[in-house]
Amino acid sequence: MSWAAHQFEIYAVQAHLPKKMRGRVSFFGIFFGDFTPDFLAKFWVYGITINGTHYGASVPHKWHRGFPGMGFTHTLFFGFVCAALIWLWKRNRAFTVGYLLGFAAHALTDVNDSVGTMLLFPVTWLSWSVETWAYAATIDGGKYLDAASYYSSLGLVMDLFWLVVVLCSWRVLTREYWRTNVVPADARAWAWLGRWIPERGLVALYQATFFYGVCRLVSWTTWAHVVAEPMIDGVKRRGYPFDLSWTGPWWLEARTLPHVNPWIVLPVTLVLLAFVYWLAIRWWERMGAIEESTRVRRRSRTGTD
Amino acid sequence: MSTTVTIEGPDGRPLDHRGSRRLSTAEQWTWTLLAAVTYTVLSIWHKWLLNWIVGPVWLVGWVVIGPFVADQIVRRFRR
Repeated sequence: MSWAAHQFEIYAVQAHLPKKMRGRVSFFGIFFGDFTPDFLAKFWVYGITINGTHYGASVPHKWHRGFPGMGFTHTLFFGFVCAALIWLWKRNRAFTVGYLLGFAAHALTDVNDSVGTMLLFPVTWLSWSVETWAYAATIDGGKYLDAASYYSSLGLVMDLFWLVVVLCSWRVLTREYWRTNVVPADARAWAWLGRWIPERGLVALYQATFFYGVCRLVSWTTWAHVVAEPMIDGVKRRGYPFDLSWTGPWWLEARTLPHVNPWIVLPVTLVLLAFVYWLAIRWWERMGAIEESTRVRRRSRTGTD
Repeated sequence: MSTTVTIEGPDGRPLDHRGSRRLSTAEQWTWTLLAAVTYTVLSIWHKWLLNWIVGPVWLVGWVVIGPFVADQIVRRFRR
């Protein structure tokens, strides 16, 4: 799984919207789209322990990404279903398209760990994985071992990559950008929040996911390499060893599921990403027309201007 | 909410739609940095702090409450 990469990619999506969508796609949509897969699946991956009894998935990686399990929450198919339901419910183009792009970013980023995601679900239940780093969520290790593994492997590089992508588009984090591009696309939501929170708080709220990602990255990396004292191969160490080799780190068994040939995963992932953007661009005008006609119909029904 | 209208307070500093002081870029940076350092350092030893609720609340809290408290202290010293 990816850690802070999911926080950074939200701003990367926001900063690299197609030209005609700039300032018109909901940031909250992107956020909730990116948030949905792990919100639905991750809690039970680590589970909880009450009075010595562990409640959670018996095979965490299968629950998280496989089927049967919650693996369907990390598929483009599920993203399209959720986006379609949101569209049918609200007829809100800005939120629907944002949601779809955010969801796609999450599902496609997660192909990098050794378990991957079921990209072509429900056509096939096979996982698509590049195997860049080891998936490490286990019952015994929980969140701590998972974080230690991720931040000792190429997962750390992945987080840093997304951080650099966002920093290269640093204007996306400024108050001016928030005012001119983010607020107009979600005017009602920000206005509602603005009833209680001053402007500086609203800007901070917009930047909060990035803030959380950076702090999370630094905190877990520091903990894993400075504070933790793991026992590896019978030897007590100060900090987990780094291993930036493919499917690392070496000191942990990478979890996998039945999967396709890793060599075809990256090209297919990029094609699917392009497909999602192509669809969003293609549907953009049509969705706008439907949204407008729905608005007119509702106004005439309620008698408001 | 109007984010484009600039209102000035009695001391000539810009206010937002709620009458709260707008921060300069340097101030915004300072408070965000303070929030980041405190949050990161504390969360190295207290991992329960690292979640979707505490993280954003921490930042918004620092940026909203910090300048307010600082302004109160400065005002008191000026008197």
